[in-house]
Amino acid sequence: MSEATLRAEGLTKSFPGVRALDGVDLSLRAGEVHVLLGENGAGKSTLIKILSGAYRPDEGRVLMDGRPVEIRDAGDARRLGISTIYQEFNLVPDLSVAENLSLGRLPRRFGLVDTAAMQRRARELLERVDVRVDPRTPVRRLGIARMQMVEIAKALSLDARVLIMDEPTAVLTTGEVGKLFAIVRRLRDEGVAIVFITHHLEEIAEIGDRVTVLRDGRSVAEVPAGTPQDELVRLMVGRPVDQQFPRRPAELGEPLLSVRGLTRRGAFDDVSFEVRAGEVVGLAGLVGAGRTEVARAVFGADRYDAGEVFVRGRRLPPHDVHAAMEAGLGLVPEDRKGQGLVLGAGIGENLGLVTLRDATRAGFVDLKGQRTAAARVAEQLGIRMTGLDQEVRTLSGGNQQKVVIGKWLAAQAGVLILDEPTRGVDVAAKVEIYQLVNALTDSGHAVLMISSDLPEVLGMSDRILVMARGRLVGELRADEATQDGVMALAVTDVAGSRAE
Amino acid sequence: MRIPAIVMALALGLAACGGGGGDGLELGMSVSTLNNPYFVQLRDGAQEQADKLGATLTVTDAQNDASQQVNQVQNFTSQNMKAIILNPVDSDAAAPAVTAAERVNVPVIAVDRGVNGVEVAQTVASDNVAGGKLAAQELAKQMGEQGQAVVLQGTPGTSASRDRGRGFEEGIKAFPNIQVVARQPADFDRAKGLDVMTNLLQSHPDVTGVFAENDEMALGAIRALGSRAGKQVKVVGFDGTPHGLTAVKDGTLAATIAQQPRLLGQQAVEAAVKLARGEQVEKTVAVPVKVATKANVGEFETS
Amino acid sequence: MRSKQGGTDSRSSAWLAENGAVAALVVLVIALSLLSSDFLSLTNLLNVGVQAAVTAILAFGSTFVIVTGGIDLSVGSVAALSAITLAWTATEGGLPWPAAVVLSLATGVACGLVNAVLIAYGKLPPFIATLAMLGIARGLALVISQGSPISMPEAVSHLGDTVGRFLPIPVLVMLVMGVVAAIILNRTFPGRAMYAIGGNEEAARLSGIKVSRIKLITYALSGAFAAVAGVVLASRLASAQPQAAAGYELDAIAAVVIGGASLSGGKGRALGTLVGALILAVLRNGLNLLSVSAFWQQVVIGVVIALAVLVDTLRRRGTN
Repeated sequence: MSEATLRAEGLTKSFPGVRALDGVDLSLRAGEVHVLLGENGAGKSTLIKILSGAYRPDEGRVLMDGRPVEIRDAGDARRLGISTIYQEFNLVPDLSVAENLSLGRLPRRFGLVDTAAMQRRARELLERVDVRVDPRTPVRRLGIARMQMVEIAKALSLDARVLIMDEPTAVLTTGEVGKLFAIVRRLRDEGVAIVFITHHLEEIAEIGDRVTVLRDGRSVAEVPAGTPQDELVRLMVGRPVDQQFPRRPAELGEPLLSVRGLTRRGAFDDVSFEVRAGEVVGLAGLVGAGRTEVARAVFGADRYDAGEVFVRGRRLPPHDVHAAMEAGLGLVPEDRKGQGLVLGAGIGENLGLVTLRDATRAGFVDLKGQRTAAARVAEQLGIRMTGLDQEVRTLSGGNQQKVVIGKWLAAQAGVLILDEPTRGVDVAAKVEIYQLVNALTDSGHAVLMISSDLPEVLGMSDRILVMARGRLVGELRADEATQDGVMALAVTDVAGSRAE
Repeated sequence: MRIPAIVMALALGLAACGGGGGDGLELGMSVSTLNNPYFVQLRDGAQEQADKLGATLTVTDAQNDASQQVNQVQNFTSQNMKAIILNPVDSDAAAPAVTAAERVNVPVIAVDRGVNGVEVAQTVASDNVAGGKLAAQELAKQMGEQGQAVVLQGTPGTSASRDRGRGFEEGIKAFPNIQVVARQPADFDRAKGLDVMTNLLQSHPDVTGVFAENDEMALGAIRALGSRAGKQVKVVGFDGTPHGLTAVKDGTLAATIAQQPRLLGQQAVEAAVKLARGEQVEKTVAVPVKVATKANVGEFETS
Repeated sequence: MRSKQGGTDSRSSAWLAENGAVAALVVLVIALSLLSSDFLSLTNLLNVGVQAAVTAILAFGSTFVIVTGGIDLSVGSVAALSAITLAWTATEGGLPWPAAVVLSLATGVACGLVNAVLIAYGKLPPFIATLAMLGIARGLALVISQGSPISMPEAVSHLGDTVGRFLPIPVLVMLVMGVVAAIILNRTFPGRAMYAIGGNEEAARLSGIKVSRIKLITYALSGAFAAVAGVVLASRLASAQPQAAAGYELDAIAAVVIGGASLSGGKGRALGTLVGALILAVLRNGLNLLSVSAFWQQVVIGVVIALAVLVDTLRRRGTN
């Protein structure tokens, strides 16, 4: 293999109170996919932010083709050919694909935007990433997967030699991941050096060439991508993690949640299922199959056209979050930051959000009681924090997710709907969330878990429901289900064969 | 969009009905603001005179917005008004409106404030500079021609504030034993007059005279002075508004320079009717300002 | 505050960082005491309190709204309309003054509820809904009063007087309204819910908070506080004026933001707002005492507003 395209040496970066990076080395060759692995807070984000010019290191240096370079801002990074695709896309939703691809460098003719040239350029770029979409489509109307492809196309338009991808697969379904990998391989073969961040260990062997493992701000190892998963986990966590999916089935009780014939035109159709006390029901399917829509409708967050929802045998009025909550239903939404948390508020405040109204005595909120309850929940969930007043914004993904789950524990919700509960959560925190699910079912709670992470669905559910195109297309017992079996159902073409 | 359109048409219709009907000459009048009792009186005087002469007067409120006023005058010309009475928001900014009207041969009468840069058929105004001078003389007389005085200025940059202030400064020069110790703005507003006077009393506790560039500020200052107003401290206002005249009667306001807004309005309508009938009028009519004191306050209408 | 050694007492510097507006107020007071010998007297400071009262009461109401991430441009007009309602019903309408007071508060609440319905159910942006109310309330005040001031009933005018020899009632009303606002914001369910809505409306909704209902309460409170401010203002003048408090909404918003609130919602405290209103009042008072020219006063006020907020944001950034 050739000489390193990009080399980072001894990068160190401190923030008030934290040393985020401590002498990290990284060497990146042309034509390789280099996986960056580490728990949340290990320093991955800081490292890529230094490479993309968002932060400047306190110590250490970056070399391109053996020559030291200064990356003072995003403009420098671009000139050096370093492109970064963050989890939060840098696209303007209301502009067209073509405009997004030419943003900042709109082709001009006689002082006006040359629309034809812009669209021609867009078509070429889209072809390179193998996406068939009209360049005039507003980005807002693309799904997440295609938005990501547009981001990649944008990076290509800048003649990227180094492409940094921060958890590109976190939001994709299995099929979409396959497609992404095909593009990544093609770019690699064209000689682009790719930094690839993922929490999905099984993806590493499939797409990666080498792996740099970060832990507590240090680079602890550089290993081949073929390294066994449990070894990678040991390197990452610093100790062996016994079991990835520690599901411990509990004794089943009566049905707590029953959904009958739930329908919203254009979103989901005739969805019926039950979740019993002590049970974890997994809801699998492709992104866009209608799982989140069903969950939100059940919880009363959105309206539905027909059907009924019962909690402990009592019927819930439609589109009434408050009633659902009173009945003991809780929702941990897919979009943690956008829908689950008040990021600027403290941990205590967030944990008490659901119980706020019930904690009101004679017009006044029992703030002391709320704090005591919050402290108890934080302790029970092992939320790592400096105190209940720490802003939720500053927590890691895993701890943020614990806060969202915690507010429902504080409210003693009997039925929890978890929508992608471990997305963007590191390995150790994932296991803690799984153990929490076990504890919940042990004490007679019911859990409905939506997840696009198939091993997780298989490993943590007692029963698996599969949705495709707005309908329930199958039900599998967890111990009998396989990834292939679930996928086969998930891609069912409902229009032709009505399942069941 | 249909229903809102109907609602809007109804609302406009209702608002238009409020203006009143009648036959005869159609006159337009754009008032700088009806958010001030003085201009309300100006309008009332004009309306009375129009009713008396059998003319139809349409009054619009420019809400102290010069550009809105230009639009209103243009609308008058397209409504075929026979003459337009303009009470300019701003003497300089009113010129385009006048030009637009005179291009289609509609005569314009400026009232209360003049128009700079173009010629209007007639300007009906009271003399603010002369009024300021009168105020200085009256205040000096009541202060015994000695002591400290403060000035409450109107909204900075307005012509009324400029002219009244200039007149006062010219007039007060004749009294070397009177010292003007502070000049501070209170924006022609009663609440601000109260606050600013309260503050000035802290730094100048020995003040015995106050000139406020309008009655509203004078009334605010009187509120700040409490029982001292009219006794140890003499306050002179400007405008002669009903509340100002009442305060003169009560003795708390030493004097006000009474403009005669009703008379201004009447004069303007009279000239407008003459012009509409093709008669000639004087270029300027100066409506006298008068000093209203407790002795003569009965002569002024206080309705 | 206790004395500091070497100026690096971390607790008091942390406190200052949390309360940048207080620091700005302290600096302003010290500067004015040095520049004008008349500034630092009990009478003058009470004057400042009286002059801050109306803005502060309006701003307490605006604090609720701004905490939810909204804005209320109508408070100045609603204050005028409420005062006119009181004066008109008590004089022309012949109602006993207590009934007129109740009616005046009801007017403020009603205006707030209309705002809230337009915003929460009509889905209008708060800026537009309250801009419309700004015009409507001002217009109604002019219609009712026929454009002229109306005398306030004697009994209500005492609100503008002093208790005993020197304690001004407007200052008392301001403090009471401030305590009420602080209690609502800190200790009641609607208050805590306002912070949640301002911080993340969707998260609040999915936590079972009835967002529309809380917004009704929020804007109704803003209207009620505006009504109180209007009555205090009219009492000080012994006269309700249709054009009173024009432009005060901007002072109120400035006071809230100087006090550390964020216009994007989720942050803001009654104490901060009080300090913000005091900064504005101290400034205007000081400019009068120093006889600063009319033209420069507006420049100075603008600069101080920008500096106060800038200092605050810089301090916050430093600590985060």
